[in-house]
Amino acid sequence: MRYLKNVLYFIGLPVLLVVMWWALTLGPTNFFVPKPLVLAQTFWDVWVGERFWTDFVPSIQRLVIGLVATIVLGVIFGVLIGSFRWLRSFTEPMLEFFRAIPPPVLVPLLMLLVGINDQMKIIVIVSGAIWPVLLNTIEGVRAVDPVLSDTSKTYKITGFPRLRYLVLPGASPQIMTGVRQSTSIALILMVISEMFGSSSGLGFTIVLFQRGFAIPEMWSGIVVLGLVGIALSLISQFIERRVLRWYNGLKEVQHDG
Amino acid sequence: MKKSILIGIATLSVITLSACGASGMPAPAESGGAAAPTAITVGVIPIVDTAPIWLGNEQGFFAEEGLDLTVQVTTGGAAAVPGVVSGDYAFAFGNLVSVMVARDAGLDLRYVANGNSTAGTPDFGAIIVRGDSPITSASDLAGKTVSVNNLQNIGDTTIRQVVEDDGGDSSTIQFVEVAFPDAEAAVENSQVDAAWILAPFLNSAVANGARVISYNFAEFDADLDIAGYFTSGETIMNDPELVTKFQTAMNRSLEYAQANPDEVRRIVTTYTSMTADQLQTMVLPAFRVNFNIPAATKLGAAAVKFGTIKTAPDLTVMLP
Repeated sequence: MRYLKNVLYFIGLPVLLVVMWWALTLGPTNFFVPKPLVLAQTFWDVWVGERFWTDFVPSIQRLVIGLVATIVLGVIFGVLIGSFRWLRSFTEPMLEFFRAIPPPVLVPLLMLLVGINDQMKIIVIVSGAIWPVLLNTIEGVRAVDPVLSDTSKTYKITGFPRLRYLVLPGASPQIMTGVRQSTSIALILMVISEMFGSSSGLGFTIVLFQRGFAIPEMWSGIVVLGLVGIALSLISQFIERRVLRWYNGLKEVQHDG
Repeated sequence: MKKSILIGIATLSVITLSACGASGMPAPAESGGAAAPTAITVGVIPIVDTAPIWLGNEQGFFAEEGLDLTVQVTTGGAAAVPGVVSGDYAFAFGNLVSVMVARDAGLDLRYVANGNSTAGTPDFGAIIVRGDSPITSASDLAGKTVSVNNLQNIGDTTIRQVVEDDGGDSSTIQFVEVAFPDAEAAVENSQVDAAWILAPFLNSAVANGARVISYNFAEFDADLDIAGYFTSGETIMNDPELVTKFQTAMNRSLEYAQANPDEVRRIVTTYTSMTADQLQTMVLPAFRVNFNIPAATKLGAAAVKFGTIKTAPDLTVMLP
């Protein structure tokens, strides 16, 4: 019963919106406004078949590689910078500087330096998506419980065991927050990286449809992006729940007490 | 529970309002009143190709027809189309393939005046390769990576035809999008094998050692018209007087520009960042009043052949 209610909540608003959209576009509409039935048909025609392999899969591959690189690099550098006060003071101004650069302006430069290839697109994703993971990791590492930190020092837990059993778990709630933010940024940058110097991918296809005035096809690509966004959020929620099970449990106990 | 419904309704109404904003688009009814000049906005790309309209505006050709012209800078023909459809732009500048594609998709766009045409050989647009590239002719481009500014447009359509005419298999060319300002560097760093590039970037590329493989417009057809000024079929039906006035002023501007290349070179420095030195050595496009129908027919046929559009355009409707 509760499960059913949750499902209804989940699909309630989308269904309502689609019905309203359908009702509003019953009459003659502007060329650029899509109609739900046409869009559904187009969605099927465009994305089920060859295009799934030539555009959708390469995009998702780049996105996944970019995200994994983002998380790995963000956590490694975040732990390093968060662990040493001098390194933090040393790197902070630079981090703020690079963080403020919008990755799309780097695309032409990266095209020159790296080339018109997948690496360029992955670098664009990483260069923009790394900041939430990196900064949250730094904060998470800094904020490790001092009592636990002192305790582990007393027990001479240092080096890798300290990282494995104290620092990373202690920072993991913050790291996961960063990962969730990075995921949506990575999706946006995946699209942007494909808008220049590309010949495959979701962003490329959407721009191509837009320029060819294939308006329903263009909207169908945007729907695909939205669905990918939902899928990513569900996956990251699932992972977060597993990784942070101890943390959520702890919070519940604290609330009960 | 009640609260969540309220929030839902609020969200819906916002979405509804924005949807109305997108679709509600009454075209401003421009009366051909004799006294006050009619204000019109024309969307153009700030490149050498559009010099005539800037010149004509400066020379007062549009004012003499009772038009108060505002030249609005856009990023490309495709970007100007929504403006024309919504009536924000009375007219816009765009290339023939862009308009063919729009017509193919069901948008009723029609040209009212010519814009610019190929200058012959040498031309203002070309396919370039690195100085030491093994590519020596258009047919060598088969199987290679070639950059164009926009895919499925006039660049790749004419290049494919030129390659076919030279005996190459155009279906094996891989086209990628690189903006004209970045194309020289992409060739120089071997990120693409060849690039389609327009002046003034063409001039600097050649000066830095790049080699021209083909002047693709001129080789496609020596009389090819590249672009022109278009409007919606609706405007042509509802306001023929406005269209005639614009045509008269625009045609005068084209003739003036063709007769006064030094004026063209001067005006270009006022709306682009090009310098007088750059323009001195630059090949200017040809400006003429009448469209060349055989060349446009050939372009339409090539666009169909290479899958840019589905059906050949009806040029009797599309061209003035």
